Amino acid sequence: MLQCIFLLSDSGEVMLEKQLTGHRVDRSICAWFWDQSLSQGDSFKSLPVIASPTHYLFQIVRDGITFLACSQVEMPPLMAIEFLCRVADVLSDYLGGVNEDLIKDNFIIVYELLDEMIDNGFPLTTEPSILREMIAPPNLVSKMLSVVTGNASNVSDTLPSGAGSCVPWRPTDPKYSSNEVYVDLVEEMDAIVNRDGELVKCEIYGEVQMNSQLTGFPDLTLSFANPSILEDMRFHPCVRFRPWESHQVLSFVPPDGEFKLMSYRVKKLKNTPVYVKPQITSDSGTCRVSVLVGIRSDPGKAIESITLSFQLPHCVSSADLSSNHGTVTILSNKTCTWTIGRIPKDKTPCLSGTLALETGLERLHVFPTFKLGFKIMGIALSGLRIEKLDLQTLPPRLYKGFRAQTRAGEFDVRL
Amino acid sequence: MAPPAASQRYPSPSQPSGKSEVSDLKTQLRQLAGSRAPGVDDSKRDLYKKVISYMTIGIDVSSVFGEMVMCSATSDIVLKKMCYLYVGNYAKGNPDLSLLTINFLQRDCKDEDPMIRGLALRSLCSLRVPNLVEYLVGPLGSGLKDNNSYVRTIAVTGVLKLYHISPSTCIDADFPPTLKSLMLHDSDAQVVANCLSALQEIWSLEASHSEEACREKESLLSKPVIYYFLNRIKDFNEWAQCLILELAVKYVPSDSNDIFDIMNLLEDRLQHANGAVVLATVKVFLQLTLSMTDVHQQVYERIKSPLLTLVSSGSPEQSYAILSHLHLLVVRAPFIFAADYKHFYCQYNEPSYVKKLKLEMLTAVANESNTYEIVTELCEYAANVDIAIARESIRAVGKIALQQYDVNAIVDRLLQFLEMEKDYVTAETLVLVKDLLRKYPQWSHDCISVVGSISSKNIQEPKGKAALIWMLGEYAQDMSDAPYILENLIENWEEEHSAEVRLHLLTAAMKCFFKRAPETQKALGIALAAGVADFHQDVHDRALFYYRVLQYDVHVAERVVSPPKQAVSVFADTQSSEIKDRIFDEFNSLSVIYQKPSYMFTDKEHRGPFEFSDELGNISITPEASSDIVPAQQYEANDKDLLLGIDEKDDNKGLSSNNGSAYSAPSLENSSNITSQMQELAISGPATSATTPQSSFGFDDLLGLGLSTAPAPTPTPPLLKLNPRAALDPGAFQQKWRQLPLSLTQECSVNPQGIAALTVPQSLIRHMQSHSIHCIASGGQSPNFKFFFFAQKESEPSNYLAECIINTSSAKAQIKVKADEQSTSQAFTTVFETALSKFGMP
Repeated sequence: MLQCIFLLSDSGEVMLEKQLTGHRVDRSICAWFWDQSLSQGDSFKSLPVIASPTHYLFQIVRDGITFLACSQVEMPPLMAIEFLCRVADVLSDYLGGVNEDLIKDNFIIVYELLDEMIDNGFPLTTEPSILREMIAPPNLVSKMLSVVTGNASNVSDTLPSGAGSCVPWRPTDPKYSSNEVYVDLVEEMDAIVNRDGELVKCEIYGEVQMNSQLTGFPDLTLSFANPSILEDMRFHPCVRFRPWESHQVLSFVPPDGEFKLMSYRVKKLKNTPVYVKPQITSDSGTCRVSVLVGIRSDPGKAIESITLSFQLPHCVSSADLSSNHGTVTILSNKTCTWTIGRIPKDKTPCLSGTLALETGLERLHVFPTFKLGFKIMGIALSGLRIEKLDLQTLPPRLYKGFRAQTRAGEFDVRL
Repeated sequence: MAPPAASQRYPSPSQPSGKSEVSDLKTQLRQLAGSRAPGVDDSKRDLYKKVISYMTIGIDVSSVFGEMVMCSATSDIVLKKMCYLYVGNYAKGNPDLSLLTINFLQRDCKDEDPMIRGLALRSLCSLRVPNLVEYLVGPLGSGLKDNNSYVRTIAVTGVLKLYHISPSTCIDADFPPTLKSLMLHDSDAQVVANCLSALQEIWSLEASHSEEACREKESLLSKPVIYYFLNRIKDFNEWAQCLILELAVKYVPSDSNDIFDIMNLLEDRLQHANGAVVLATVKVFLQLTLSMTDVHQQVYERIKSPLLTLVSSGSPEQSYAILSHLHLLVVRAPFIFAADYKHFYCQYNEPSYVKKLKLEMLTAVANESNTYEIVTELCEYAANVDIAIARESIRAVGKIALQQYDVNAIVDRLLQFLEMEKDYVTAETLVLVKDLLRKYPQWSHDCISVVGSISSKNIQEPKGKAALIWMLGEYAQDMSDAPYILENLIENWEEEHSAEVRLHLLTAAMKCFFKRAPETQKALGIALAAGVADFHQDVHDRALFYYRVLQYDVHVAERVVSPPKQAVSVFADTQSSEIKDRIFDEFNSLSVIYQKPSYMFTDKEHRGPFEFSDELGNISITPEASSDIVPAQQYEANDKDLLLGIDEKDDNKGLSSNNGSAYSAPSLENSSNITSQMQELAISGPATSATTPQSSFGFDDLLGLGLSTAPAPTPTPPLLKLNPRAALDPGAFQQKWRQLPLSLTQECSVNPQGIAALTVPQSLIRHMQSHSIHCIASGGQSPNFKFFFFAQKESEPSNYLAECIINTSSAKAQIKVKADEQSTSQAFTTVFETALSKFGMP
């Protein structure tokens, strides 16, 4: 039972206040919260659940905007956090991102959305497709949308019938002249390489993202060639559980537009496409750094946008780093980023140089962690393959599209 | 014919606007009110937007209420929504004006567009003006019968809102039975869900004074109703599912078939994309199977993978909430995540609150099979850039070492930390090595050789320093230069700021003296002299005590200070298993996040919905402003227990966290040792016990030490005249206590006579009253007492508020002062302390 939601800018200003119940929550709680977060430093600021003298506060931070919810009664904390996450998602979906200007320019929309998403402190509907029918997205997006949907009016004056239909995520009867459905496999590789170069952990987090523009009430079946590798699946509410249990087939009536059909994890992978070999030796106040990056196992497609970033330890007073390929930048907050791009055929990219330590220090005791970034289009590194996508009744002029891509998620190389 | 203002952008909130802008808006709105020209809606929209943006940034625009209502006769939905928003915000402050609004909202409730009907009804119910409730009944009644589900949904919530404004109106209009029939027969899932939520709240609030409501509340938990919901749970949206699952937790199944039926119905909820649904389902599963041990274990297996999925796929905030719950589960069933420990490896980019919980998980899941990998991983964090996490991971290594039988490898790792030569790493490690030695004395040889080579100069942190000194004292016979290191430290007594370190120095010097007397004698002498002259009460007392024991008999002293030690087998757990069970019962609630059962952080009356809590929550306020003292029996017996439980817990918590949680044991052990030995002494030797103050003073004089360190009993004339007849009612006190900033915090010691007199709070209250300081609330029992005092200046109504916590075992009082006049708070504190120091004096 949430009593109030505040949106705070990154300077602590209350941009928006939405009282949800008869018990008004005074704005001064935000001042208290902000004072606390300034005085307690980062660790407090980011703690998602805080007890203030008068209320329990839930907060999430997205792009500098703090979503703060207050409650005075016991409630499932995850529910409050989940709800705030949904609010943030829906807002960024509507406004094309969240930041101070966007929210201030569109605060009416934000109020309207909150009005439909939560009533009397209890969440109602957070399904974007239904909300979009009740409240028109603001100008730019709605223009795009009106081109797509053919709905020219800025204000939708029809009521969502979805709330009444037995498929709450789908508007009753969308009509398209050309029927299209796209399936994207988007995977992220999370890995930890330890000091000895061993692969401590390597797994893929993947999502099946879909964009469906289908007329009527389509019933889809998606099957994989190798579903046995999947673990930890989570499904969109539209997915029927039994067919998956018995045959590992995804059977569902899709929402309209873009949505996330499922997420999964593939664990215990043995190999990464890229290797990073860092070396730091220190002697009498200076450190020699050399980092090699290369292809370990060729995935068959080009590995793009390779970057390597790390935080220089505090005790480093100055750094002189250069590379034989790509560019190296060091920001004032001691973040060093090496942008490599693609790995050239003729040489192995190498970052090298020296770090000068603060006076009095002989050796480096604190070592940086290297974060690797890369992107590979056209392949799902987990090896997951889509077998086929069937429609129960085939609409005219159907187009089906499949894509895959893999990028680095949390890829840590420790030293 | 757009007015010129319409084309301007509304000013940014950084430039606060004054009255002129508001009156400007007022005129413009008035011009538009009657107009029916095309495009007028657009101009209105711009103006409305401005008004609401002012409202949002906190400027009072209530003066345009009339104009806003006049302009709202329109068919434009966005305009209507803005007007509803505005009206909802100000209606409470302008009950007269809101009558105006009622008229047009009621008309809108009959609009042909269901969206307008719904929105108007929602706004009507959100006005919350008590004397207008009669206008709500009609629209709500027809709203509940509306043929559009959107309107019905809003009407149901409206009934609940009405109930909160005026319960009697709601009951008299017979709304609850209507809701019940809607709940059981409506075709729309959202309507049904809202009915459930409204009825739960109405009936549980009514249950206290109506038997019928009580019965109805019970009937929600009957088998047919529960199955009615569970069978169609997939029709509900995710949030309503949470509601139903919470209801299902309270259901008492009739037999094991019942349990399996429910679990089968809910099994696929574990795969839901919404974490709140998953966690609510997990709670149902765990609670249902509590009585069936083997099924309960299977449930752990079943819920494992959905929970782990949630940890790694959501946002960090979600991971935080889930990890808190996992920690609770892993304590009850350590085996469940033992094979999945890699899930809890920290990624570099994770926020530190997630990392911290992950470290706790790694500690909790460690067992024989995975210790090696986990410790290896933790050791990598020790070199982490994030110092707080580096510290935590070293502590985690230590905790694992204390849990395991095979500590061989871990000891080596710990000793390697010492070679890193980072001061915080060394300090943390020393604390751990010390704890390890207390549990596994057989490792002393390896550890001592490494620890002996550490230069005490490199350790700045008191915890680490104290640990090193403890080891020097304890293993003086094995470390050849222990006496000399100690001597060195003692010579720098003046520069040692931490009392804890000085206490340890005293004890270590004594222990060393018993083992290697000739080498230590001189250092011990210096230490005792410095200790007796120390301004810190504890250090002074301990030095004096050692001095006297030595004087009495060296052998008794050795038995007191350095008795043969037994290895500690189990370190005290911070939480009792009963409390852990309580938290488990409150799975999926805030209790899990705080790691405390709800009764520890919410009062009884705050556990229900809609009650206000306040800062003074822990202590009940009794009016004690008048001269007769209201005795503590006024508290409800129950409440008192509760209250004391909290106070003691909090104090203990504060203490242990100050000392670095579980690793502070030696100091505690020493003090308990000393007290126990002291009793022995009090029987056998001369009376030195602190509980008989007269004799202790006598002793002081005997030693020629004077009373220099005792609080000066000479009465100083109060600088501040206080009003002996001051009055302040508890409500005003609470309000002031919340509003005023803390102007002063002071710690002072209470003289022994005072401590002896403080057997019940009333004695101090009476005493303080004779000094014109009045008590407004008090609580606690030995050794912790808590008081709230207030006082007023004699000449003017300027208040002083004080919170005073007295711990009789340490003879310390902690005073927090808040004052209307900040400048005189120091003077008041002096008066307060003087008054306190006279407490117990004849």
